[in-house]
Amino acid sequence: MSVDLSNVRNIGISAHIDSGKTTLTERILFYTNRIHAIHDVRGKDGVGAKMDSMELERERGITIQSAATFCNWKDLNINIIDTPGHVDFTVEVERALRVLDGAVLILCSVGGVQSQSITVNRQMDRYNVPRISFINKCDRTGANPERVTGQLRDKLGLNAHMLQLPIGLESDLKGVVDLVTMKALYFDGDNGEIIREEEIPADLKDAADEKREELLDAVSMFSEELMEAMLEEQEIDPVMVREAVRAGTLALEFSPVFIGSAYKNKAVQPLLDAVKYYLPSPTDVENIGLDLEKDEEEFAVSNNSDDPLIMLAFKLEDGRYGQLTYVRTYQGTLAKGDTVYNTRTNKKVKVGRLVRMHSDEMEEIDSCTAGDIVALFGVDCASGDTFTDGKISCSMSSMHIPEPVISLAVLPMDNKAQVNMSKALNRFTKEDPTFKTFVDHETGETIISGMGELHLEVYIERMKREYGAEVEVGAPQVAYRETISTRAEFNYTHKKQTGGSGQFGRVAGYMEPLEEGEYEFEDKIVGGTIPREFISSCDKGFQKSLQKGVLCGSAVTGVRCVINDGAFHAVDSSDVAFQLAAIGAFKEGYMKAKPVIMEPIMKVAVEGPSEFQGSVMGSINQRRGIIIGTTEEGNYTVVEAEVPLSEMFGYSTTLRSLTQGKAEFTMEFAIFKPVPKSVSEELIKKYQDERKEK
Amino acid sequence: MGKEDLVSSNPLRALGLEKTEEGEERRAGLVMARAGLGKTAILVQIALDSMLRDNKVLHVSIGEGVDKTRTWYDDILNLMNQENKIEDFQEIVVDVMQHRMIMTFMESGFSAAKLEERMADMAQQNIFKPACLVIDGFDFAASDSRSSLNELKGLMEKNDVKMIWFSAVSHRDDTRVSANGIPAPCHEVDAFFDTVLIISPEDNALKLKTLKCSAACSADAGKSLLLDPASMLIKKA
Repeated sequence: MSVDLSNVRNIGISAHIDSGKTTLTERILFYTNRIHAIHDVRGKDGVGAKMDSMELERERGITIQSAATFCNWKDLNINIIDTPGHVDFTVEVERALRVLDGAVLILCSVGGVQSQSITVNRQMDRYNVPRISFINKCDRTGANPERVTGQLRDKLGLNAHMLQLPIGLESDLKGVVDLVTMKALYFDGDNGEIIREEEIPADLKDAADEKREELLDAVSMFSEELMEAMLEEQEIDPVMVREAVRAGTLALEFSPVFIGSAYKNKAVQPLLDAVKYYLPSPTDVENIGLDLEKDEEEFAVSNNSDDPLIMLAFKLEDGRYGQLTYVRTYQGTLAKGDTVYNTRTNKKVKVGRLVRMHSDEMEEIDSCTAGDIVALFGVDCASGDTFTDGKISCSMSSMHIPEPVISLAVLPMDNKAQVNMSKALNRFTKEDPTFKTFVDHETGETIISGMGELHLEVYIERMKREYGAEVEVGAPQVAYRETISTRAEFNYTHKKQTGGSGQFGRVAGYMEPLEEGEYEFEDKIVGGTIPREFISSCDKGFQKSLQKGVLCGSAVTGVRCVINDGAFHAVDSSDVAFQLAAIGAFKEGYMKAKPVIMEPIMKVAVEGPSEFQGSVMGSINQRRGIIIGTTEEGNYTVVEAEVPLSEMFGYSTTLRSLTQGKAEFTMEFAIFKPVPKSVSEELIKKYQDERKEK
Repeated sequence: MGKEDLVSSNPLRALGLEKTEEGEERRAGLVMARAGLGKTAILVQIALDSMLRDNKVLHVSIGEGVDKTRTWYDDILNLMNQENKIEDFQEIVVDVMQHRMIMTFMESGFSAAKLEERMADMAQQNIFKPACLVIDGFDFAASDSRSSLNELKGLMEKNDVKMIWFSAVSHRDDTRVSANGIPAPCHEVDAFFDTVLIISPEDNALKLKTLKCSAACSADAGKSLLLDPASMLIKKA
């Protein structure tokens, strides 16, 4: 089956929290006839928006997991991934951007470019995603789409230009002027479904002419035809303008801006047209795969439905229909009943059912082709795995996954909860690479770690609601790290002779700080002083030592261990003996290598009225924060700072009381840095006291 | 190269900036150039030199964001590291962060009074008390620029700021100059500054000429500096 890929759009919808993404998606589904009634996000009708399929999402009014959905607009097939706005869940945004070809960046016409919009924009830059912007909530008091467009230029560095002008603003918002066709558009009917096209109102004519002129100047550089037509003062055809805007958008050198109010059903349909006109089809973008037979050499996937199959699993869900794997097909065709190979595990799996997801409902399909986003049933894999039909051995490029920065202990209330909790954790860790879990062998506690308090809170709620696992939760703990700061040598002999067979192994070498990466092991043994079969035992011993550092019990990272000498005994040497020797050697070298404790430093942005700037800065200063800078815009100021995560617990309460609830903050992980001496001493003492108590 | 060597070998020593901070005298400097020649790069190097001498610097950027300004510092520091192989580079980066604060304003939103209010906020809570102010993007063409400069002079005295540096864009087709040769738009406020540098493209090089210099400058400051066009680092000629 061949599908015209030029009519396919895989798009993401990303934005700052509360910019109205889910409301906009709801309207899109309504206008594309996927749903037949509109429900609000925090709906009084108890139904909730379609894309917020998880009960928890509906309750909190935020989108946690990105749900994929499919719709048709005119002759266009659109796959939409609705992505979460909260920074704790950015892995979802990143995953969506990895598999999508274009994106719509939603901004609030009052709030403008907020800190999370900057994060999302940076992520889009990372994956070279062409984007269009939609300035939503133009019906709100204080709406100023021109100011927001200016911010898109100044703050995000986008060559942003409005392709529409508002007809009225705030409660007076009536419609928009399309600067490409130079027509006024109004949205009639109960749900704005009837588009009425009229001449531009007389009082807006001059402004529209001026803005169109500016627009044409800005996009003419992307089309020689348009430039020539302008120089020769010919009449400019809308198709010519659209082609120029499209060329600039795809080259990431131009960013068209649209305006409207999803909630008031104004100007959503022109945005759908813009998706068609200006965002890329799968054939417009180059996706890179890694050839596993040629030492991961990069190659461009073909997007051709007749070529060997390549698809990437970018999301797993274990809902009421069983295990569901969302995949993006990059080339080839997949039909129901086909066998596919997971190139990571080399396992083959039969695809029993193939579905197109529409939030939590689905549609059975027989096949999918290059460019499609669909879901498979019963396929065991991890997020990020690549599947092929076996004719090609490749992997799609890896995704950037941030390290967890916060952890807490979870204790099941009873045996049933214990079983359910492990089921839940097993699923969550497969679904979300930033969510990790392990058992602390000293305390027997199960520890979960992730990207922020809200991130972990949501998983605990999900454990309770979806798996019935009642758990007691400990206080959140910062995920400290230990590392070494200098090179140190070790030479340790493990010797045990207490009846029965003895244990003997000597391990010598050195450890040194590793600039990038967590751990490296190098074998420089010559002359067989440690037999080959025990080399991996040494590696295992070192890796065991990394799990818990001696300073504060945190994981040790950034260490390179090199062994260059040793000794063995023909009878008493064994795997266990060399593992224990390596553990002893690590301990010996570690203390000499001047270990330090590292803490996660968060990039914090506090946004609020300028009158509170002094108090906000004071509050950051008290938290060992370094203020990077302040940005003053009108009566609002954004204070940007780097603050240790350990100092940020409870900050929302402090900020609320300092600013009469008028300021808000976001934070995201920035870097691990050594803790100051006083904090280090405190952490070491606390860890020692805890050990004594046990 | 260590921190002290970095300070002592800095070509900016020719301007005698360190002498000002030790004494009572306050200084006002200006970097002029046509658009896009590297004024911000020079301001950042003057600011970094002050920070490396343990002074706190408030960098006020008018019309640019915090990230963009910060990137200037990161880039210049990295280039200095490449050039000089700095010992304990990461420590110096942290040190610089602790001595620097960036404050950005929209073009229409900046005024001396507003800056003073912000500085008072920070001083009251002992958050940041700068010895040096860098103001990038000040509008010298505005009708009230002279009174704003006088207000800034007052602000320096009140807050014990020892040094202030500005940047200004000169235009090829505006030929007005002051008696000291300071081009428009700063020709009428010439008296406010004791040091004025101008970036002048000559013979495939960017020369950093001293149009005006205080007594602290060494005699040949006017001839001794140039700007590496590839790295934008200030060099001895």
